[in-house]
Amino acid sequence: MTRCPAGQAEVEMAELYVKPGNKERGWNDPPQFSYGLQTQAGGTRRTLLTKRVAAPQDGSPRVPASETSPGPPPMGPPPPSSKAPRSPPVGSDPASGVEPSFPVESEALMEDVLRPLEQALEDCRGHTKKQVCDDISRRLALLQEQWAGGKLSIPVKKRMTLLVQELSNHQWDAADDIHRSLMVDHVTEVSQWMVGVKRLIAEKRSLFSEEAANEEKSAATPEKNQTIPGFHQAP
Amino acid sequence: MATYLEFIQQNEERDGVRFSWNVWPSSRLEATRMVVPLACLLTPLKERPDLPPVQYEPVLCSRPTCKAVLNPLCQVDYRAKLWACNFCFQRNQFPPAYGGISEVNQPAELMPQFSTIEYMIQRGAQSPLIFLYVVDTCLEEDDLQALKESLQMSLSLLPPDALVGLITFGRMVQVHELSCEGISKSYVFRGTKDLTAKQIQDMLGLTKPATPMQQARPAQPQEHPSVSSRFLQPVHKIDMNLTDLLGELQRDPWPVTQGKRPLRSTGVALSIAVGLLEGTFPNTGARIMLFTGGPPTQGPGMVVGDELKIPIRSWHDIEKDNARFMKKATKHYEMLANRTAANGHCIDIYACALDQTGLLEMKCCANLTGGYMVMGDSFNTSLFKQTFQRIFTKDFNGDFRMAFGATLDVKTSRELKIAGAIGPCVSLNVKGPCVSENELGVGGTSQWKICGLDPTSTLGIYFEVVNQHNAPIPQGGRGAIQFVTRYQHSSTQRRIRVTTIARNWADAQTQLRHIEAAFDQEAAAVLMARLGVFRAESEEGPDVLRWLDRQLIRLCQKFGQYNKEDPASFRLSDSFSLYPQFMFHLRRSPFLQVFNNSPDESSYYRHHFARQDLTQSLIMIQPILYSYSFHGPPEPVLLDSSSILADRILLMDTFFQIVIYLGETIAQWRKAGYQDMPEYENFKHLLQAPLDDAQEILQARFPMPRYINTEHGGSQARFLLSKVNPSQTHNNHYAWGQC
Repeated sequence: MTRCPAGQAEVEMAELYVKPGNKERGWNDPPQFSYGLQTQAGGTRRTLLTKRVAAPQDGSPRVPASETSPGPPPMGPPPPSSKAPRSPPVGSDPASGVEPSFPVESEALMEDVLRPLEQALEDCRGHTKKQVCDDISRRLALLQEQWAGGKLSIPVKKRMTLLVQELSNHQWDAADDIHRSLMVDHVTEVSQWMVGVKRLIAEKRSLFSEEAANEEKSAATPEKNQTIPGFHQAP
Repeated sequence: MATYLEFIQQNEERDGVRFSWNVWPSSRLEATRMVVPLACLLTPLKERPDLPPVQYEPVLCSRPTCKAVLNPLCQVDYRAKLWACNFCFQRNQFPPAYGGISEVNQPAELMPQFSTIEYMIQRGAQSPLIFLYVVDTCLEEDDLQALKESLQMSLSLLPPDALVGLITFGRMVQVHELSCEGISKSYVFRGTKDLTAKQIQDMLGLTKPATPMQQARPAQPQEHPSVSSRFLQPVHKIDMNLTDLLGELQRDPWPVTQGKRPLRSTGVALSIAVGLLEGTFPNTGARIMLFTGGPPTQGPGMVVGDELKIPIRSWHDIEKDNARFMKKATKHYEMLANRTAANGHCIDIYACALDQTGLLEMKCCANLTGGYMVMGDSFNTSLFKQTFQRIFTKDFNGDFRMAFGATLDVKTSRELKIAGAIGPCVSLNVKGPCVSENELGVGGTSQWKICGLDPTSTLGIYFEVVNQHNAPIPQGGRGAIQFVTRYQHSSTQRRIRVTTIARNWADAQTQLRHIEAAFDQEAAAVLMARLGVFRAESEEGPDVLRWLDRQLIRLCQKFGQYNKEDPASFRLSDSFSLYPQFMFHLRRSPFLQVFNNSPDESSYYRHHFARQDLTQSLIMIQPILYSYSFHGPPEPVLLDSSSILADRILLMDTFFQIVIYLGETIAQWRKAGYQDMPEYENFKHLLQAPLDDAQEILQARFPMPRYINTEHGGSQARFLLSKVNPSQTHNNHYAWGQC
């Protein structure tokens, strides 16, 4: 099961949201779960609602005890909470949930995101075809334009900051997962340029493993007994 | 008996099999008197996180007409290194690699706990998965935009080396050539004329024979350079260009005048998709994914004309033989479906529109190939978007749950024969000693092909006991069945899953109690229901209901205890106690009652019913109803109007809908706002509890259900009221002692 391994606490929380469905276009449209919640699903289920009750064999109608005489039952208040409450609810109403608000740190900076991405692109120039690099570059420019133009929402900016951090730390899978979560949750905002970021992650990853393989080869040839301390083969 | 329930559950968890009878009547005559046939529900790829596949190939019986797989039921001579096939009794030599086996050093496939085992096939080139998108452009602007975004998103969910292709259609059909450079090209076909596979391949320039993928060659770890075509390219190469191409897709340019439907050439589009894959990648895992926003109105496979004043056929029209295009259209899609299944590919249909889209005629495309059918109101809904995302869910190993190109081979011990299978499969027409002449479902074969499947895909397999009455089976004898499923895993590697089971025979004359106690009423209900739905496709509705009722009566006559002329004395043992309820709800269900559903809706419901596992199928037959109150923890309650109470909240799961219903008093309390007062916090928790449970179901189920939150007196309460048994009506509400 893929989990989003990245994330500071607030961003993780922000990734586990439920939005109502599209009531105008679909009747009884179910709520929309964020990527984070969807990838979580399938873990241990709290309850398994699959039991049934057999009908009474003697054929009498099951008239429940609380129905007594005809006429409207008196409506008093519900029983007050005297005992300890039951297990607290996990989330809010699936249909009316709203993104939970979290303390906003300093606004994610565009430069903090774009500079590392552009640097990564530069690193790849020798290794990747020119056309691909140009295409990625074009999309990064689009990202910059949209960010500067205020067209990107805060969650997108926050997650992009995280993505870039993971990329800088060579955590390719984590970066990839964040890109996926952005595509799933915010496709309208990101679709035009995100595929460029996706490709950049892939190119960086293959460049890195190529470099690591070359280093290992050159380290192995001179003296077989000497291992370079602290060097680990990239998987 | 509690022990049989455990036995049944353990077997299901381990083998993915549920039998209607777990102790088998030993003669044909007695078996027919049991009313419910001896049959099982098999989930061939049931998720087994505790069962890692073994890295070698299975050992087969050497008899050419048998070829059963070595299993725990075989007798083994460890000294002579021989094993006896339990199906044909042939003595076989173990292969040299098994030279070191002994009683204390058994290979896994001989151990009883490995009655289900999975093998990985190492040899052979591994071909990538293929996804061919066939996209209707006769959509409204925001619908098309939402669909485009979902497709762009899917490129991030596909594996990087999967091949992807795009065909768009409206009045014309466009096959897009995917290239990384320069101008994008496409081949345009008229939507009115059907073409043969060869014509399509010629016109697309695919006449050179494709490299066959299934031959056993020396393993080629690198991607074969010709494994792709101009129309199907790897995601990692083409994703940027395809994202742009999708982003630039426009609505079909042909103007639609007032009172007309857009001209939609779905039949030709699908035909070209099938022909394209047939010519380039036969016999390898591929999905043709058809996205459509309305009915086919042009060319072969058209379901309705372009005049809006002539509505698309209803059940009434079909009954009166007034559905002009139905037969011809169904034939067209059946031909395509059979070709696709023969090629080992599957077809998904994603139909989002407010009116019907022709699912009735096109259903064979999904049903015969194992493809998915998703029905929604618009592509711009959460129902479509999330259902579509869930196709790409990964399992505990990070692989896609979808699997391809499966063949299921069933072998039985000689007292049994195979009558047929019901599920998302086609027959491979393999005759043999195990095949019965009496067909139930898709019969006349012991092998079926399931081109698209996942860990919940379930087939109903029906058997016939052929042992004669005067040839009794020795006491303690067991019958055996082996299910061998060969398939392509989503990691593109080929695997074989083998399940071998055995059950005891019993003489029905003297041991009826044992047979009775081992009856699995849940499996029996689903297996009978599948038979009923299968019949309903070709017989009249009332006839099917009469058949179902007759079977129920015969079953009650055989197994009920009663005194003649005294209805109140009728009793069924515990193992049958739920069965009559299941039958009651089944006959009212949308699977057998077409009233209140369009032909497309009925086809949609039946499609999902014929492939789900037992638990989900039962939910469809008899929805689950749970009651939440202050009186205790949530409890299951009878699906009956007597369960609707003022001080309860009900959660109903019909599989296709999740309904939360607030009783009258609860609704009034909520309106008064008690949940916001701190001293009534327990009321807040009470309101929340069913929402949390509903969320768990909504998060996991495929396809995503609709979500209805309603209360006493609300118009949406009709979803609950129409499902419950109306034991209390205005006639008998205040009277006692009446049923």
